[in-house]
Amino acid sequence: MRRASNVIFPALCGVCALLACALLVGLVFVIAQRGVPALSWTFFTDQMRQVGSAGGIFYNLLGTLILIAAALVISAPIATGLALTQAVYLRSASARSRLGLFLYTLNGIPSIVFGIFGFIVFVKFFGWGKSWLIGGILLALMILPTVTVSLIERIRALPRKYIEAATGLGLRQSQIIWSVILPQSWSGLITGSLLGLARAAGETAPIMFTATIFAGASLPHGIRESPVLSLPYHIFILAQDSFDPGVGAKLWGSALVLLMLVFALSMIALPFRLRLHDEAHA
Amino acid sequence: MMTNEDLVRDLRLSDGAARRPYLAGISCTRLASFAFTALALGTVGALTLIFILQSLPVWQDEGIGYLTGGKWFYRVQTFGALPMIYGTLTVALIALLLAAPIGIGAAIFTSEFLPARVRLAVKITIELLAGVPSVVYGLIGILLLRDWIYELFARFDLLSGDTLLTAGVLLGVMILPTVMTLADDALRSVPAEQRRAARGLGLTATETVLAVTIPQAGRGLIAALLLGLGRALGETIAVFLVVGRQDNNLPANIFSPRAWLESGQTLSSKLGGSETNIAYGDPLHWAAMVGLALILMTMVLAATIGGAWQRKTKYAPSI
Repeated sequence: MRRASNVIFPALCGVCALLACALLVGLVFVIAQRGVPALSWTFFTDQMRQVGSAGGIFYNLLGTLILIAAALVISAPIATGLALTQAVYLRSASARSRLGLFLYTLNGIPSIVFGIFGFIVFVKFFGWGKSWLIGGILLALMILPTVTVSLIERIRALPRKYIEAATGLGLRQSQIIWSVILPQSWSGLITGSLLGLARAAGETAPIMFTATIFAGASLPHGIRESPVLSLPYHIFILAQDSFDPGVGAKLWGSALVLLMLVFALSMIALPFRLRLHDEAHA
Repeated sequence: MMTNEDLVRDLRLSDGAARRPYLAGISCTRLASFAFTALALGTVGALTLIFILQSLPVWQDEGIGYLTGGKWFYRVQTFGALPMIYGTLTVALIALLLAAPIGIGAAIFTSEFLPARVRLAVKITIELLAGVPSVVYGLIGILLLRDWIYELFARFDLLSGDTLLTAGVLLGVMILPTVMTLADDALRSVPAEQRRAARGLGLTATETVLAVTIPQAGRGLIAALLLGLGRALGETIAVFLVVGRQDNNLPANIFSPRAWLESGQTLSSKLGGSETNIAYGDPLHWAAMVGLALILMTMVLAATIGGAWQRKTKYAPSI
């Protein structure tokens, strides 16, 4: 009985693990299999034609890159400020844990809620209309917890002797931050940003009412009324009337490109994360 | 490893305040850090305030009927959110029913039965897959899963493949990586001494997992499920594409799984639809839409904060 259970239980868990991996790998395989035929050089360099059934995704990809670049630029300083406040400046443990809970909460807010918030404040109240900058701001807000937590973990893992040496040299607190803490922990910022951007690149809900349109935009020319095209919204719209086989091929191709972009961003972050992993367990 | 307290103490020693008290704690870096923190806190505060204020008219107009009413007809200004609350909860429940056993089973396998190196490889793959965008899941749902569900349940005379069940199954696959990787973390954080002690007492590997590891990691496992639930409740795009977006479809018996095979509407799919653009001109209609976002946010945050709270696990002390 005991021996039998010691075989059955691991086997059952193994089946679960296999099922989970098969489901997820199968999903990526389906996208790759159907998307590869659509890929070609012109798919990347040509603009969309005939409501998505011909041409390429040049401006869609560019729009998505503009959105995540804006999110990166906006989130980096705010995340640095938050991380320094949490890991260095706040002196009471309860204040630190309250700020941690705040980050948790922010991470939990559903993406569509950010979309509606952006719609109320920027599109209507500020009167910007749809704009790439609103998308950048909302995506920055969404990835803020990921970036901040990653940076905080890095700062906490700094070897004590670095701070001691800097103290011994008579550096002031802000000098220590700029010459020791931030240079030594920038990889946390990079890792967090890459992981955050991987998530931001695929988000549709926050940008659909605020930053992106399906057709008729190229490069943004200002802030007011200057939306961009984007890959997720492109897929979202095409998926809703995907009966034209011509659209189908382009649709899977776009999904594959988006998936590759997301995976590329997480893969670049991987070496940094593994190094942190090794150091933590050394 | 150095703790946060040490770092703070060391920095305080080096603070200019020690030598020049009049400069106590003032620096551009500090000011900028606090300003950015205030900006982030203020934005989220403003978000909450705006949602409460803008949804006030509908609470005044409908009262508690806004939550319990089953009819939503904006042309006659009737707003009842219950069918959407039902849809959101049902879809998330189906997702959790699917993801909980598979995710936790898989996590037990990776954390307790796999060698460390393989475990890391599996974990990296799963975390990579956790990043697949929801619109890509939606695409799979609309082009494949929808038809499978339609054929699989053909004998129930489905009207279409766009059902609550389709959305739930899709969400289940979506939250699977989240549940699995968090459950794995929870199981791994049980100290190894406890497992060795159990094995030393003559328990088999299976008995060790069931009698020691799982009870010890219980709160962490619940946290993994709650955080997965939070993600399922708030997910918009994938659900939007396959749920059918049928308004006012509240079954007579809300516990009957037969109703899972009908189209429905969730809070998030309603918000993601074109009604959001239409509603803005009309204060009451707009308040009703914002109110949906407020209800959704409350539900998701309850799950997420509950999960965060559960995660602060206290293990039995190792000797």
